[in-house]
Amino acid sequence: MNRLATIVALGAALIFSSGAMAQEEIEAPHLTTWSFAGVFGTFDRASLQRGFQVYNEVCSNCHSMKLLHYRDLGPNGPGGGIGFSAAEVAAIAAQKQVEDGPNDQGEMFRRPGKAQDTFVSPFPNDQAARAANGGAAPPDLSVIVKARGKGLEYLWGEGGPDYVYGILNGFTDPPKGFVLPQGKMYNIYFPGHAISMPPPLADGTVKYQDGTKATLPQEAHDVVTFLTWAAEPYMEDRKKTGAKAILFLLAMTGVLYGAKRKVWKNVH
Amino acid sequence: MSGTPSTVRTNNRLVKWIDTRLPIFSFAQDAAMDYPEPRNLNYWWNFGSLAGIMLIIMIVSGIFLAMQYTPHVDHAFNSVERLMRDVNYGWLLRYIHMNGASFFFIVVYIHIFRGYYYGSYKEPRELLWMLGVLILLLMMATAFFGYVLPWGQMSYWGATVITNLFTAIPVVGNPIHTLLLGGFSVDNPTLNRFFSLHYLLPFVIVGVVGLHLIALRQHGSNNPLGIAVKGPQDQIPFHPYYTMKDMFGLGVFLIIYAIFVFELPNALGDPQNYVQANPLQTPSEIVPEWYLLPFYAILRSIPDKLIGVLAMFAAIFILFLLPWLDTSRVRSSYFRPIHKWVFWLVVIDVFALGTVGAHRPEGAYIVIGRIATFYYFFHFLVLLPLIGWFERPLPLPESIAAAVTKKSGVPSASAQPGAAQ
Amino acid sequence: MADLAHGKPGAGAALSGGHGNASRRDFLTIAGAAIAAVGVASVAWPFIDSMNPAADVLAAGAPVDIDLSHLQPGQQIVVLWRSRPIFIVNRTPDLLKTLQNPNDISLLSDPDSNVMQQPAYAKNWNRSIQPQYLVLVGICTHLGCIPNFMPQANSVGPGWLGGYFCPCHGSRYDLSGRVYSGVPAPYNLPVPPYRFLSKTMIRIGENPPDGGDFSLDSIEQI
Repeated sequence: MNRLATIVALGAALIFSSGAMAQEEIEAPHLTTWSFAGVFGTFDRASLQRGFQVYNEVCSNCHSMKLLHYRDLGPNGPGGGIGFSAAEVAAIAAQKQVEDGPNDQGEMFRRPGKAQDTFVSPFPNDQAARAANGGAAPPDLSVIVKARGKGLEYLWGEGGPDYVYGILNGFTDPPKGFVLPQGKMYNIYFPGHAISMPPPLADGTVKYQDGTKATLPQEAHDVVTFLTWAAEPYMEDRKKTGAKAILFLLAMTGVLYGAKRKVWKNVH
Repeated sequence: MSGTPSTVRTNNRLVKWIDTRLPIFSFAQDAAMDYPEPRNLNYWWNFGSLAGIMLIIMIVSGIFLAMQYTPHVDHAFNSVERLMRDVNYGWLLRYIHMNGASFFFIVVYIHIFRGYYYGSYKEPRELLWMLGVLILLLMMATAFFGYVLPWGQMSYWGATVITNLFTAIPVVGNPIHTLLLGGFSVDNPTLNRFFSLHYLLPFVIVGVVGLHLIALRQHGSNNPLGIAVKGPQDQIPFHPYYTMKDMFGLGVFLIIYAIFVFELPNALGDPQNYVQANPLQTPSEIVPEWYLLPFYAILRSIPDKLIGVLAMFAAIFILFLLPWLDTSRVRSSYFRPIHKWVFWLVVIDVFALGTVGAHRPEGAYIVIGRIATFYYFFHFLVLLPLIGWFERPLPLPESIAAAVTKKSGVPSASAQPGAAQ
Repeated sequence: MADLAHGKPGAGAALSGGHGNASRRDFLTIAGAAIAAVGVASVAWPFIDSMNPAADVLAAGAPVDIDLSHLQPGQQIVVLWRSRPIFIVNRTPDLLKTLQNPNDISLLSDPDSNVMQQPAYAKNWNRSIQPQYLVLVGICTHLGCIPNFMPQANSVGPGWLGGYFCPCHGSRYDLSGRVYSGVPAPYNLPVPPYRFLSKTMIRIGENPPDGGDFSLDSIEQI
């Protein structure tokens, strides 16, 4: 029934590409390649650590990542962490102040962070975040890469990274005649082009500890790699296990097909 | 002691001991081994067993997920993310369940279209068909409740839109709406009861599937030629023929399922659902999961609120009436020259409705949606009865065995000559 | 329409075929079934493993550091580690003397701590690393209640030298957590893994660097 297969394929293509046609947003083009793309994709651990540095020094001033713990970065973290040792993780956590308590006197107190704490948020709650940012709360970044980028590339997990990368690189002067509302910035890839976030990154915003040159595209590439890991720390395991599972299933199905043909031989 | 002796073919004394007291083994032998099936079933008949296996996969993965999920508005989203990060293989459980819902619907939709094309709903299998439509309804309810549980933006706003449908009912609409919600809007009481119902309904589905299988056993499976079994020469035992064929089909299905679970896990989902539910911010597009899109499109195509709701439910209820709407004396569309092509129109129509449902209702999509909705009802209410009356069916073969063993002329089952697959 | 004909399927369906065909078919069938079984087992493991403690639960069971500088002589504090109460007592020299009293020792069920309820570095009369500080898991080995700290002489009865009294069924322990004979509880109170980070700072949940790899899972009974 090849007819049916064709129609199914056409229909599926129609429905799944609907995202690309539906929004008035400009789909972020594939501006860069990702090490985690494809069936055999992996996270570049050096890039993850640089990306964490960018998040820690720049983004964490406005954006929370409440779903991550400091221990996730270390050897016991999901997917093996991003390559920090347990001591480095403890040191990173200890740089932050975390609210704890109540103590035996019934009071809340602040103490240095520990590995099992969640990432410290810049604002205590949503309202404070909104109030400090002109009414637009900076979104939590824990799964931002899975929450954006609807379109064809979203199907295989690159739509989100491409979108965030596009946003970070897409700040530019508005074209002639474009009316930019008060307090907003012009961004090529943001839907509606008027984004509340000022450009967070530029060449040399951070100084990389491993000596890599910190250009804007490099910083954006690293932080998006880190954010993709943060959204899906088990991605490498998932893809590897998937490859094994699919190969196993192919072998099993092959054997079963042979068995089926043998069994049915005398009926034909 | 009275009663018939155990008929199970084994030398194992433990099996015999159990079977004389509780005949599970002879039942299994009778139902899954000796059970006679038409010899000409093609691969479209695999999808029933695939649906049963998907039901089991969904229940098992769901039970393990329920061990880790917290059905409270403050914790639901985080508990799902905790599953993805901290629970051993939690990401696998979640993706199995999430993609499993889609694959369950894919399998069931193909199973339904197969039944429609080959006339499996016709006498004496009307109740079998209606039980199947009931299963579909229960699946849709289960999927709707389940989608709310991760408490993302689509979860919350999809729940809001669908529960608001009940306000369309005159007089009692608003009190029913409040009763369903347990509050003034979708909130914690709603989430809790949706969790309870989502856990319950799959077991109701298991019960209806049991009835579905009992009804199937009464008259046996239909077959691609649509003609009745005339004798043992038309049949082969379920084991080993269809057990092996079903296993092979399962293998192929699992490969595709595994590709989605492991390599494309979010392909069938909506990115908006990775944003935690925010009652103060409506997403730019509220779209249900793909398997509900055709019905969603029908709902939105009609400008009147109440009639839109009625049309959406009518679209499903019309399926219950299919055995009586189709007036043809011939079962299988293979022998129905007009219906054979008209069938594809409704397939294209359903895909069109799905596409319309995925987009915002503006511009060309409104027109296409209305035409597609009109055609859907026109097809079942007008075309089918008319075609049945006026069509001249092709001559039916004498028997299945005659058709299968013929080297030339009428090929058996599928369009491919030769092998009776 | 004719009903389904019941009865054995026709001749064409019989499991016939030459021996060669049959054995090849059987081999393929068995091979297929075996591979499928392997597949089912490898899918079953992740489901079962998901019930094991998750990463956040394991992290919450991490060692806790306790500052003992404010603990007065003769006082006990109770802290939680892995959801269990941990008793920490600052024992005075007088209390320590009573622990070596032969009359008291003769009343104990397991005075030498032969039953494995403590790490090797706590298998002594003081059942601790340093005699001054006692660290115990405060769960009665009878049925799991939390014993009361009764350090006062004669507070539980005449002749009471100080120790623990469990209010649920009357089990009694001395101030090293050793259980008396003739009470419902069968074993001494367990000692958790712990170490000193400094003179007044202990870490519960971690063995001393040279203290081996004792784990609370290995004791006779909590």
